[in-house]
Amino acid sequence: MSKFEVPEVDYTRYSNRQLAAVPLAVLAVALVVLAGWYVMFGTPVSLGTDFTGGTELTVQTDTPRGEIDQAFEAEVLSTQQVRDPTSNNPTYVVTFGPETNGSTLNQQANNNLEPACSNPEDCEIVLSRQTVSPAFASGAQDTAILGLFVAFAGMSLLAFGLFRTFVPSAAIVISAFSDIVVPLAVMNLVGIELSLGTVAALLMLVGYSVDSDILLNNHILRRSGGFYESTKRAMDTGVTMTVTSMSAMAVMAVTATLFGIELMASIGLVLVLGLATDLMNTYMLNLSLLRWYELGEVTPE
Amino acid sequence: MNARENWRVILLAIMLVSSGIVLFVPGVVGGGSDGGGNQMSNLQYGIQLDGGTRLRAPVVGMTAEDVDFAGQEQGQARQAMADNLSVPTRDIYFQVDRETGVGTVEVFNKSVEQSEVATALNQVGFRTSDGGQFSEDDIRDGVTAATRQQIVDTLDQKLAESGLTAGSARVATTAQGQNYIVVEAPNQGAEELERLVSQRGSVELVARYPGDNGTMAETTLVTREGIDSIGSPETGDSSPYQVPVVLNQEGAERFTRVLNENDFTTSGAGSTACGGAEKNDRGYCLLTKVDGEVASSHSLAPSFADIIRANEFSDDPRFVMGAQSRSEAETIAVSLRAGSLRAPLDTDGRQVYTLEPALADRFKTNSLITGIVAVLAVSGVVYLRYGEPRVAVPMVLTALAEVVLLLAFVAVVRLPLDLSHIAGFIAVIGTGVDDLIIIADEVLAEGDVNSARVFQSRFRKAFWVIGAAAATTIIAMSPLAVLSLGDLRGFAIVTILGVLIGVLVTRPAYGDILRSLSVDD
Repeated sequence: MSKFEVPEVDYTRYSNRQLAAVPLAVLAVALVVLAGWYVMFGTPVSLGTDFTGGTELTVQTDTPRGEIDQAFEAEVLSTQQVRDPTSNNPTYVVTFGPETNGSTLNQQANNNLEPACSNPEDCEIVLSRQTVSPAFASGAQDTAILGLFVAFAGMSLLAFGLFRTFVPSAAIVISAFSDIVVPLAVMNLVGIELSLGTVAALLMLVGYSVDSDILLNNHILRRSGGFYESTKRAMDTGVTMTVTSMSAMAVMAVTATLFGIELMASIGLVLVLGLATDLMNTYMLNLSLLRWYELGEVTPE
Repeated sequence: MNARENWRVILLAIMLVSSGIVLFVPGVVGGGSDGGGNQMSNLQYGIQLDGGTRLRAPVVGMTAEDVDFAGQEQGQARQAMADNLSVPTRDIYFQVDRETGVGTVEVFNKSVEQSEVATALNQVGFRTSDGGQFSEDDIRDGVTAATRQQIVDTLDQKLAESGLTAGSARVATTAQGQNYIVVEAPNQGAEELERLVSQRGSVELVARYPGDNGTMAETTLVTREGIDSIGSPETGDSSPYQVPVVLNQEGAERFTRVLNENDFTTSGAGSTACGGAEKNDRGYCLLTKVDGEVASSHSLAPSFADIIRANEFSDDPRFVMGAQSRSEAETIAVSLRAGSLRAPLDTDGRQVYTLEPALADRFKTNSLITGIVAVLAVSGVVYLRYGEPRVAVPMVLTALAEVVLLLAFVAVVRLPLDLSHIAGFIAVIGTGVDDLIIIADEVLAEGDVNSARVFQSRFRKAFWVIGAAAATTIIAMSPLAVLSLGDLRGFAIVTILGVLIGVLVTRPAYGDILRSLSVDD
């Protein structure tokens, strides 16, 4: 049986600049994507119904996907098929904009869509409905931004409190910032909208990603032993941690997608993205900053 | 094994056993009066996992604080305010402190502007508590806490009266200070709940008759206060459906007096101008009104008129309220029993979430499977990494123990589980395993642990990192646990609790387990 070993990296071959260049370039690209989104669409990330307002209907119907739009008087923003192996009936999530009335849409679905089985008692057409008013949505938006901001600020203060030196603490804060920004940019590119679930995932990232950074700083700054030896030990533990979490989240994302549980699927995916970014940031960006702090400029051998 | 050294493991074992009891022995938690009987555990599920409807809506209204009521007769002032703003009197509400004579004026009507309320207050003769005039800035959006509480209590009553006994209402506040009324009804579709909250439910019986100067006059005959008991809706004689009521003594007296004074029992009896749900422009009709809208209109039967004229109505004061449909009749019955909402809810600003129980059941099973698969993935990676079952197996079991303890806690406080809580559980397993890996690596590093002292020092070092990581997670989550943002709040609370249980109970216990496995006595 093949054993999972944390690979050993020979850091002496790279200068601090070389190490930091990659994560900083990725962060720059991510910021450009977010800025571009802001210029084109008015918000740095695509917002879901939770934050824009609107109605989401989950319908199960024999009406073909292309004809679902015609059942409603209001404009349909998107129709997504849900693939759930435990149900044989075709199921779709239909999204409408904020200017719509949820109960009217519910009525129209019941009147105009074809039931998926002959006995309407057995298969309701509208399985779920979520209507968010624009006022409530903008409140949720403010709260989510405030929540993320406070979480990040609290984490930064704590990092400075724990290590009480500027460079190592700042390294943690920069890594964590990048851990959130890069997944946000990727979410835009692959079409995941920001929802309450993905905000939860981003907050989880603040907690998760800091773990490996604290571990690395702790091993290098507070333990005896040389820089590379400490790094090796911190990596053994830290990479195991991150890979374990990543595998759990990847499996969760895949299973939840198969089952059509959108919330868990997007949390899983965002965390996989964030943890992958964290591996890069911790062991390239954070590490190079720490090495510069401890050993000064290093010339590659 | 030494009990004194392994007290953490023993504590964990005791907690696990009690959790098992809390989770699986029927009726241990909260009396178990659900009557479900088919539940596998004592856990409660929320709307997202059990199906049902949740509705959030703000209250319509604005408030003037610090209003001086000195020299005002409240009944007249209320009428004057209503006339000035051209709104019904039920849209004006006063609350006065008896000792100081200072209180609040609330206006519950969307068509009124804040500046208009200020002008009306000044014109009616109200002054601020320091003697000044009201300006637009003195009128704030939103209603008083007492009004919100009245609405919540009345909605609870209405839910109970309409058979949605598992439903409940409460007030929620967002970070921006907006107050919302949240109504939840497990296992119910949206329509019934939306109908329930879309009406204030003030029901009254009104006498409408030709007045002095050729126009029609209206006098209130019966309100909720005049009714002693309310029957069940039934098919009616003069309108399609009706709700039988029995009046109390005062109610019967008022009923008799108003009808006798306004010719209903003489020339007006059996008037042919009544019927349907329209206001009559001639004749003598009894109107059942819900929130000011006519629900039905009928005349006073001549035989009944005789009884009233003879002042014998009080001996058997039974009467009916009419309605055009069964659901309307039910609304009337529920409103009469539960009372009316002091202020209406804003239906435009409401948020609705409704989920069919069938889909919820699928979510429940599927998210459980997803969770199990995630745990298997963790176990696989941990086993591959350490290659030793004696490290990996306790690690996975400890992480699962955290979830069991957390579930038991959730069952004890009767927090209804939703998808967001499950996301929280996953976060807890994730951070839990991370911490256990830190402990294992630290303790097992540099060869065997040969004494308890070496173990202690390594364990303490590992704990510094774990404590720091836990503190960051708690800090990151705490704003969400405090800010009420619906779904995210449950997630944050579960994650914080999980981290606390982990750091205080299970992770130290894992250290003990690892020690007994690695220290040679």
